[in-house]
Amino acid sequence: MMVPAGSLAAAYQHGIYPRSEAVVAATRDLERGRTTPDHVDDAFRADRAAFLDAQREAGLDYLSDGLLRWQDLFRPLVEGAEGLEARVLVRWFDNNSFFRAPEVEGAPRLRDLPAWVLEDGVPEPRVATLPSPYVFSRAAPASGNQDDLMVGLTRDVLAPAAAALAAAGHGLVHLEEPWIPYAGIEEASWGPFEDAVAAVREATVGATLVLHAYYGDVGPHADRLRRLPVDAVGIDFVETDLEALPSPWGTGLLAGCLNGRSSLLEDPASVAAFVRRAAERLEPTALYLSSGSELELAGPAVASGKVGVLGEVARRLRQEAA
Amino acid sequence: MSVVGQAESAVLTKPLLTHELGSLAKPNWRVKAVAGAPIEERDLEDARDWGERLGVEDHEDLVELLRRAPLDATAMAEVKRWSSRYGVRLLETVGLDVVYDGEQQRSEMYQWAVAHAEGFEWRGTVRAFDNKYYSKAAVTGPIGLREPYHNEEFSFVREVARAELKVPITGAYTIADWSFDERYLGETSLGAPGRHKRRRDARRSFILDVARNLIRPNLEALIGLGARWLQIDEPGGSTEPDELDLFVESFNESVDGLDAAFSTHLCFSDYDLFFPGIEGMTGCRQFAVGFANYDSRDLGTGVEDRPGYRVLPRFRDLPYRPALAVGVLDIHTDFIEPPELVRDRVLHSVEVFGDPARIHVIPDCGLRTRSWEVAFRKLQHLVAGVELAKKDLRI
Repeated sequence: MMVPAGSLAAAYQHGIYPRSEAVVAATRDLERGRTTPDHVDDAFRADRAAFLDAQREAGLDYLSDGLLRWQDLFRPLVEGAEGLEARVLVRWFDNNSFFRAPEVEGAPRLRDLPAWVLEDGVPEPRVATLPSPYVFSRAAPASGNQDDLMVGLTRDVLAPAAAALAAAGHGLVHLEEPWIPYAGIEEASWGPFEDAVAAVREATVGATLVLHAYYGDVGPHADRLRRLPVDAVGIDFVETDLEALPSPWGTGLLAGCLNGRSSLLEDPASVAAFVRRAAERLEPTALYLSSGSELELAGPAVASGKVGVLGEVARRLRQEAA
Repeated sequence: MSVVGQAESAVLTKPLLTHELGSLAKPNWRVKAVAGAPIEERDLEDARDWGERLGVEDHEDLVELLRRAPLDATAMAEVKRWSSRYGVRLLETVGLDVVYDGEQQRSEMYQWAVAHAEGFEWRGTVRAFDNKYYSKAAVTGPIGLREPYHNEEFSFVREVARAELKVPITGAYTIADWSFDERYLGETSLGAPGRHKRRRDARRSFILDVARNLIRPNLEALIGLGARWLQIDEPGGSTEPDELDLFVESFNESVDGLDAAFSTHLCFSDYDLFFPGIEGMTGCRQFAVGFANYDSRDLGTGVEDRPGYRVLPRFRDLPYRPALAVGVLDIHTDFIEPPELVRDRVLHSVEVFGDPARIHVIPDCGLRTRSWEVAFRKLQHLVAGVELAKKDLRI
């Protein structure tokens, strides 16, 4: 079933959101013994409130806590699991940003997600962000078969985490997948990847599940991605040509339409026109709207502006469809 | 003899040369005094204790100066110079062959350079990892050098230091890569035909303008003051694997034809990405590369014992035969590498290169995220480990 061009299911902001100057100062001071954990908690609470206000003001449909306390995309999973350790710093794709690789030591198994992940005080409807099974397994240094690792990590860590988040009221679970567009995927890995995504799907029944591919050209992988058992596949249109995607799309589309690594604010009218064109060409079964990549690397002032642009694009699309 | 020749014969050809790499943490007394914050008794004790421990001449003058806080701008500048003096002495006291001042007079490697450049505007703080951040600017106008930004520092350090000096300078590629571009590309269009080529052309223009108009004149100013060895810091060097040619071109544009010895520092990357690109960096006399972060802590000198150093043969086989400064200290942990572990990392590197004169020994990167106590002990063990290796090699 296709949706009319411009008919928007939801707009939301995924991924880690940048910390304010106040949180930057507080966390720095804590490490240097110049302030207290309570002060840092207060700073994080103020940041979360400001981000919620920005999302509400923009009229976004799902609200996020901004993952403000997350040290990287994998850390809460590592901290909540036995059999995983975070030590070695590794570059986060082609960015001046790093994550600690989740190293497998024993049999990884989720105990509990950290309380601050689940009890985030964000009103519903809300969105949760997690790593996709593929990027999770490739970020983890392994001497054995990485596809087996992917299946195991998904079964015992990622899917239980997604289930916990869905049960805690996250109506949309967003899986970040930068690895495939950036570095590619072997043909033999598609099967295990599909099984892993299916395991997350099974764990999140009742929630909308989106898998978002970014940081590279999605075109070469689009045909396989759109067959995954998810409600929508996200495309980073900063890196991907619309004409390279198969049509009709055959599933939901998340249009990643803002450049999360540029300080320039997009023109809402131009972005809305592009998304309309994408919807007309691809005929997705549902249309979602977000940034092409997470906004953390844009810094707080720029990111706040981009959330406003996202809201304005959504408003224009809905106005046109009405 | 040219300046390059002098530098090479003086230090660069010394087997298992040891040197610092970049910044040290800034002492609390330096941070507070410059921020106008109250100085506490424990800060004064810290200044006094380290002054005695490092044999900093007249350090009681610093304590007296700090007692007068809050300080005016002149006194704040004096505190920064004291911090610089302490940094030099720390690196000399542990026994390094080549030192600088731990970049005590600078704010941060990117911020300091951009703050002295024309054509940039600040856009806020961005996280690098965990609770570590950097200020990020956007290029918005023509790039230029407002004023040489290491001259005063170099003149001071040269006056203070007893050991040989190497001046660290943030490289053109890293400055461009860590900045937003609001000038050269200036568009956000999605799906527009030809945008990938426009993006690439804009990147090249941006990076080379930084090299020609900011880095090169700054290097010329330092060479004019007598600097002989200049280290171009490029932690962003391999950030974009498809831009290695631009990284190499920017290095060459920065240094070609200048009479000094140039080296470059790379860290926290997939170093395989640099090959074959850096085969074109023939003016680079030494690569200083972080490896310990990726290595095992177990002893051993075999290839299987040293997984962090597996890329060494590729540096060894570069046609212009540069030296390789191998990182043997993980700067992200408080773990104090035992001298025996340093020794084994060094012996392994010498074994791979077959020539101790092409192996130098360094921390992986600047130690600014470690306390002075931890940095001091790590560096002491670096020097002790090199001595063990020399004994083993009968050097």
